[in-house]
Amino acid sequence: MLIIEGVSKKFRGGNYGVRDVSLSIGGGVIGLLGPNGAGKTTLMQMIATITRPTEGTIRFQGTDVVRDPDAIRRKLGYLPQDFGVYDNLTAVEFLSYFAALKGVHSRARVGEMLEMVNLHNVAKRPIGGFSGGMKQRLGIAQALINDPDLVIVDEPTAGLDPEERVRFRNVLADVGLGKLVILSTHIVSDVESVATHIAIMSGGSIVACATPEELMRGAAGSVWEMVVPSERFDELRRTARVSSAVRKSDGVHVRIVSAEEPGGGASAAEPTLEDAFLHTMSGKAAA
Amino acid sequence: MIGRIGAIVRADFLIRFRRLSTVIVFLLLSAFAYVWVPNPKTGMTLMQINGARVLYNSAAIGMGTSMLATIFIGLFGFYVISNAVRRDIDSRCGYVIASTTVRTGEYVIGKFLGNVVFLTTFVAGYMLASMAMLLVRGEAPLEPLIFIKQYAIVAPSTIVFVSVAAIVFESIPFLSGRFGDVAYFFLYSLSLAFVVNMMMHGGEGAARYFDFSGFGYLMEQTHRNFHTDSMSIGMSPFDATKRVLVIDGFNLGGGAWATRLVSTASSIPLLLLAQLFFHRFDPARLRASGAKGKRGWMRNFNALARPFVRPLAALPVRGAALNDAKMTFAATPFAGFALLGITIASIAKPASVVAGFALAALFIADVASRDRRAGTTGLIYAAPRLRERFVTWKLRSAAIVAFLLLVAPLLQAALAQRGRLLPLVVGIVFIAAAATSLGVISGNPKTFIVLFLTFWYVVVNDNGATKALDFAGFYSTPAWTVTLLYAAIAIAFIGTAELVHKMRLSS
Repeated sequence: MLIIEGVSKKFRGGNYGVRDVSLSIGGGVIGLLGPNGAGKTTLMQMIATITRPTEGTIRFQGTDVVRDPDAIRRKLGYLPQDFGVYDNLTAVEFLSYFAALKGVHSRARVGEMLEMVNLHNVAKRPIGGFSGGMKQRLGIAQALINDPDLVIVDEPTAGLDPEERVRFRNVLADVGLGKLVILSTHIVSDVESVATHIAIMSGGSIVACATPEELMRGAAGSVWEMVVPSERFDELRRTARVSSAVRKSDGVHVRIVSAEEPGGGASAAEPTLEDAFLHTMSGKAAA
Repeated sequence: MIGRIGAIVRADFLIRFRRLSTVIVFLLLSAFAYVWVPNPKTGMTLMQINGARVLYNSAAIGMGTSMLATIFIGLFGFYVISNAVRRDIDSRCGYVIASTTVRTGEYVIGKFLGNVVFLTTFVAGYMLASMAMLLVRGEAPLEPLIFIKQYAIVAPSTIVFVSVAAIVFESIPFLSGRFGDVAYFFLYSLSLAFVVNMMMHGGEGAARYFDFSGFGYLMEQTHRNFHTDSMSIGMSPFDATKRVLVIDGFNLGGGAWATRLVSTASSIPLLLLAQLFFHRFDPARLRASGAKGKRGWMRNFNALARPFVRPLAALPVRGAALNDAKMTFAATPFAGFALLGITIASIAKPASVVAGFALAALFIADVASRDRRAGTTGLIYAAPRLRERFVTWKLRSAAIVAFLLLVAPLLQAALAQRGRLLPLVVGIVFIAAAATSLGVISGNPKTFIVLFLTFWYVVVNDNGATKALDFAGFYSTPAWTVTLLYAAIAIAFIGTAELVHKMRLSS
């Protein structure tokens, strides 16, 4: 469905935002994971035809979208990072505006979308009074208004409270049925329940692309659990790659990602996606 | 295509007309109509020709108020509407638009028409208020078609020109910032002066087809019908001994319809420039053009000036106001070159202090609003006492920058002409107070820039003839009452800003 071959984006100063990225994606929800500055947004903007790659090709359903951007634009829904809104418009006006820009003239479709994101009760209220989560849901509604085959959402849960994040993830999981969804984030928990494939980016390149299960299998034998006294925890945090820590009555229960056993009574643990992500990133750092 | 353009126009209209500031400007314009059509019994009139006042009929009030509308739309309308693209950049809705099949041309035309609709609505509202004034003054019956005709002849060329200019300036990287704001002011003023000058001196040829303001046409009509160039529009005194003139309004005979039509359409091809330069929200082009705040050309100038200003910016100073003033030089090192330029110019030619004031005004314009635009107001308010003393803090900061930039003229006055020192000091405080007040109230530097430049332009063209306009003693040592007047205005500016700030804090 989407084939990216040798794509790079070089900026005027000579820096690369994305360097020699190749990916082939069929369908489902693809989680694009990576730290801030990894190049996720630039890659998504190139797929969304907002900026052109300086090298490489992007093909969607067989068409080169760099040469013919409209081929993908007709079938695309895009929710950019830090999506803002026009505060003075109501939800229904805002959605109708983007519907018109995308060539959707059905009023019923606007209503359907508002219902889908659970904003139909506030459809006629100015968006300026909406919470961050409501604005993001409106954002996803505009992305889906044209019933796209490809949905790109960039850091959609940034700034949302835990309840809104869960709600947003559920919306994305529903959307993912029968479409290709690319979801970029640096928060692993955002993708672990919905992503069918995960691509990890670092320094403008893809360092891993696999199913979550494969990524977790790759980290097997590199994840350790141990309980340490509180006073030793600070030192451990400085010397080891700690993926999680929970304070309990018997000390701090720590998970460590390390190729070698860290000692101190550590036992091997089954990797989570967070562990697998850290394992991949530590491999990249070591390389 | 029409549906998409229509959607852009509609959204722009709704967004703009639901802003409180739009409603306030709308009401102010209506209030102006009341002021500009004074009761002749007061000795003042809207329009006089050769000293004789014109009878307030539909043609006269329509003609007079429509010309005033073109001045306002031409000078201020640009600043009201030149944020249509910026809004899409800031909200990132532009990225979504760029990812749709909307053509760049459709977007540019949509924004242009959005500007046209917005300004037309403003002018229409103002026209209705002016019609009401005709009824209030009651010198002649209201003839709506004649009234509308006056507006239809002169207003469209200005509305179209300003709408085109706004979108072109927003699309061309180096014109999309503060430089563009200043450049537009001079461009419009020069185009107005050029066309009128050409037409008054017989060089009517091509100039009359670029008469965006309609002033050349007005002068031509006055000359043809009354054989004089002496006329004024706006509240002005008249000679009560002269017979009241009855005028029929604008006349489209003698090919005038063609010149008005071409003047309206002649700026439209400039939209191609907007289409050519428009970045289509490409982050690479936005970054290069600095549309998110780092102006490309300004960045180069600043980089050049930074080494010269670094010692000044590194000075260990105490106090919030001094540090904020230092921030102006650190953030805009080019101000260092301005300081050097003003100093050299003042030594070489003391009269250049007038230009120095304009330059200083540009550098203090954003002092009061930069925190709000950068989203750092919360951090500022967390500092001890700055929340409550924000206005006076910004006033002191702006005044320090202005005093520093104008230190050479001040020293000259102190050493050579002590009588001019106080007016100069009051003049500096006056611009600092105006910049602070308008920055605090409007939240952007544009309001001060355009209002001050308009005032400055009038002062420069008046060349000292009207003593009350010489706010800093540029042309002669002003009377103490003038100095006192500007000191009072400065206090009023700050008082108003304090009031607005306190109201915001309490709400």
